[in-house]
Amino acid sequence: MRRTYLGEFEELVLLMIAILDGQAYGLTVSQEIEQHTGRIVTLGAIHNTLIRLEEKGFVRSELGGATMERGGRRKRLFKVTALGAGALRDIQQLRSKLWQLMPDSGLNTNAL
Amino acid sequence: MNTPQPPRWARSVLRLLHPDNTLEEVEGDLDELYAYWYRRAGAGEALLRYLLNVVSLLPPFVRSRARQYEYEQPFALNPAMLKNYFKIAWRNIVRQKAYSALNIAGLSIGMGCSILILLWVQNELSYDRFHAQADRIFRLTCNAGDFKAAVSPAGIARGLQQQMPQIEAGVRLSKPVTSLFEAGEKKFEEKRVFFADSNFLRVFSFSLLKGNPATVLSDPGALLITQEMARKYFGSDDAVGKILRRNNGENFKVAGVLANAPSNSHLQFDFIIPMSNLARTDRDLQTDTWGNYNFYTYFRLAENTDTSPPALQKLTARMFEIYKAHGQALKVGFQLQPLTAIHLHSDLQIDLSGHGNIQYVNIFFVVAIFILIVACINFMNLATARSARRAKEVGLRKVVGAGRYQLVLQFLGESLIFSFLSLFIAIGIVFLLLPIFKMLTEKELTIQLLDARLWLTLTGIALLTGLVAGSYPALFLSGFAPVKVLKGKMRVAGANLVFRNGLVVAQFVVAIVLLVGTAVVYKQLNFIKNRNLGFDKSNLLYVPMTGEMWGKKQSLKAALAQEPLTSNFSIISDLPTALISGTTDLEWPGQVAPNQVIIPSLDVDEHFVDVFKTKILAGRSFSSGFPGDSSSYIINEKAMQVMGMSLQNAVGQSITFSEVKGNIIGVVKDFHFKSLQYEVEPLVLRLNKWGGYVIVRTPAGNNEATIQALSRLNQQLNPAFPFTYGFLDKDLDNLYRGEQQMGSIFNLFAGLAIFISCLGLYGLSAFMAEQRNKEIGVRKVLGATVTGVVALLSQDFLRLVLIAIVLASPIAWYAMHKWLQDFAYQTSIDWWVFVLAGALAASIALLTVSFQSIKAALMNPVKSLRSE
Repeated sequence: MRRTYLGEFEELVLLMIAILDGQAYGLTVSQEIEQHTGRIVTLGAIHNTLIRLEEKGFVRSELGGATMERGGRRKRLFKVTALGAGALRDIQQLRSKLWQLMPDSGLNTNAL
Repeated sequence: MNTPQPPRWARSVLRLLHPDNTLEEVEGDLDELYAYWYRRAGAGEALLRYLLNVVSLLPPFVRSRARQYEYEQPFALNPAMLKNYFKIAWRNIVRQKAYSALNIAGLSIGMGCSILILLWVQNELSYDRFHAQADRIFRLTCNAGDFKAAVSPAGIARGLQQQMPQIEAGVRLSKPVTSLFEAGEKKFEEKRVFFADSNFLRVFSFSLLKGNPATVLSDPGALLITQEMARKYFGSDDAVGKILRRNNGENFKVAGVLANAPSNSHLQFDFIIPMSNLARTDRDLQTDTWGNYNFYTYFRLAENTDTSPPALQKLTARMFEIYKAHGQALKVGFQLQPLTAIHLHSDLQIDLSGHGNIQYVNIFFVVAIFILIVACINFMNLATARSARRAKEVGLRKVVGAGRYQLVLQFLGESLIFSFLSLFIAIGIVFLLLPIFKMLTEKELTIQLLDARLWLTLTGIALLTGLVAGSYPALFLSGFAPVKVLKGKMRVAGANLVFRNGLVVAQFVVAIVLLVGTAVVYKQLNFIKNRNLGFDKSNLLYVPMTGEMWGKKQSLKAALAQEPLTSNFSIISDLPTALISGTTDLEWPGQVAPNQVIIPSLDVDEHFVDVFKTKILAGRSFSSGFPGDSSSYIINEKAMQVMGMSLQNAVGQSITFSEVKGNIIGVVKDFHFKSLQYEVEPLVLRLNKWGGYVIVRTPAGNNEATIQALSRLNQQLNPAFPFTYGFLDKDLDNLYRGEQQMGSIFNLFAGLAIFISCLGLYGLSAFMAEQRNKEIGVRKVLGATVTGVVALLSQDFLRLVLIAIVLASPIAWYAMHKWLQDFAYQTSIDWWVFVLAGALAASIALLTVSFQSIKAALMNPVKSLRSE
């Protein structure tokens, strides 16, 4: 199994891209994160993460068509690649495996 | 649209600082963000959010996306491209044969010259560096006021060494002593004979081929000879142990054979005789004198001695203290001259001959560089002038995706091909010219083809030439805008023309400076040759008096007087070419302080004034009618001034010279007895009591007969010694050999510089004529004459040469003025020299240009105008 390091924030962004399904670009990703997690993130942070994810090969991007609402400027739309999807699944599987290994009292914080 | 807009300045900042390949999408995202918050929370909140996000997208926070090209960029040094470059370069060379030939000829001649000069420079700089301890060996030189001499007293070497721990070893050498050597049948007069202290071979690294280095110079009855002499006297036999007879008297055993003195040694010897031999007869050595300056002294300083100039100054100051403590009254300055500086940095009297001059080394080095620059300029000029031919190629290459650096690389590569082609031709030229150059410089220059350093240097020269020559054309050609070039009309830019004209001017400045230099050098040499020396130097034949000649002086004089060819004779102690004697030992009435001026002396006979045609200004000459003359003196004007006398009162005064008291009987007009680099010095003439030279004024046109008569005389009186003779005027001319050589080398290179410039000019004019082909056709149709057209085509170039003359004149004047400072007697640098050089350069340029312009002017206009 290829182990690729995926940071917490990177994972979050990657998930959002998957959720947005083809409509993911800088602004939508940031709004989605804000909406679902309440975290306010700057566009710069998103922008940097997107570039990093693309360099790692988890997403690919292309420039979309021009739209009226942003002065005719094109959006850069992101999609999850097979590698990205695999990485997300790996993480998910690992987590659920670990959850199953946990005894019932594992989360009992009063026992100490 | 009434959508709210974020502040413009923030967007400008973003545009300025954000990486431009992601600018579009980020700007769009920000706009949307602003609009979203504007709708949701109003202008204030929107602005705040917007600014925060903008800042997050500026460096250093923002990450930039790796640039992606939309098409593939080929590797610049792709083999296919390289092949193409070579192919195109070769096609260009072959297709324009004339221009390629001009280019290569110019470059190779330029390089050839530079290589020759650099060989010479390197040889000059290599003097005496082969000694293992060269950096620790110094020669002791002395000066009394302005009189600087290479010699020092016999006793001082040991005296100083005893008191100064810094001096590790001291070795003395005598002045060269002309001697007659004889082995069996073979008998020759040898000039390069020295007496040397026994540690000679321990201080200097001359290699001993045969013999025991520790003892070879310890036996006063044995000597060292060089390999060449061993072959000369003993053929292929082993020379060691053989007997050599010196001056028909003493027999010497050959103790060892030395390798021939390297040509880059300032000491050039054939025979080394132990100093202990000379000590048997020499008074200086016997008394260990500190007052008579007759020996060359070399010191080897101890290891780790500080040899920086201030430290050496301290050493010499200490030497002077020791010298003064020894009880010497003469004020003498001591200098320690580094061994490696002797060849190039000596301007001392009583020195060994054959020294170079650092000034010439510098001058020639600069000349070499200039010639190379002139050749490079040629290349640049032709390449840029013909740029129009390559313009379409450049345009097309750019259209199909060549970057500028690729084109620069291509054109630099092409010029490197030219320069390396030229290098090989240049090496051929060097081989061809080396014998001539060797003759001219009288040096043993060799070019070792297996020497890695040589090849490194040559490659360096070729690389440098290629890069310099190719730089401007490469930058210029690669800068063409493809659209302009491919649209059709390519106009040569004005700036380019100015630059090219500047280059032509620069070339001719160099050429004219060299021309003026040549003219002034020759003028000065001529001036020296024709200068009135104070005596008539023509037809003076001299015969050194060797062996028994002086012993038989009565019969010699009688025989000379009898023969009408030789009756006009005199016997003098030294030739007035370079008197090397001198003493400060002079006392005169009314003297206030001890004399500090070195006063040379010359011993002459009664006929001296008549034979040399000098002038007696007061009193009389020596005469056989006055028996007391043997202790009388004649002085020259300068000596008279030194002693503060005048023509009226000098005669009859009693002076003491060299511890001998006598009366002044006459004052002779100043005449030169040294190279004209020095002013006339004071001189004392004494009556000759020991011989020297027989000097005969031959009747004009009877040189051969006179020589024969003298030869017969020698046969009769002095049969054991071979007959030798010389002409004084030739010897005098030889004093200026260095200058003469410099003159002829200068001449050669000035000629070559002009030739190279003309090659370039020829190409340029051919190109110009070709470009103005149609214009000339139209002019001719409208009635222009051939002369008119020729004038039109030539005047541009002539103007450039005129500018060059104006620029070159002050430079040349300054340079030659500096050179002339070396001479006490200087010719003037007249205005006509500049006019002459300028006119010569202009006419050569005109001649070159006229080839093409006349050809163009004579062409039938139908030919140039019919197609279009």
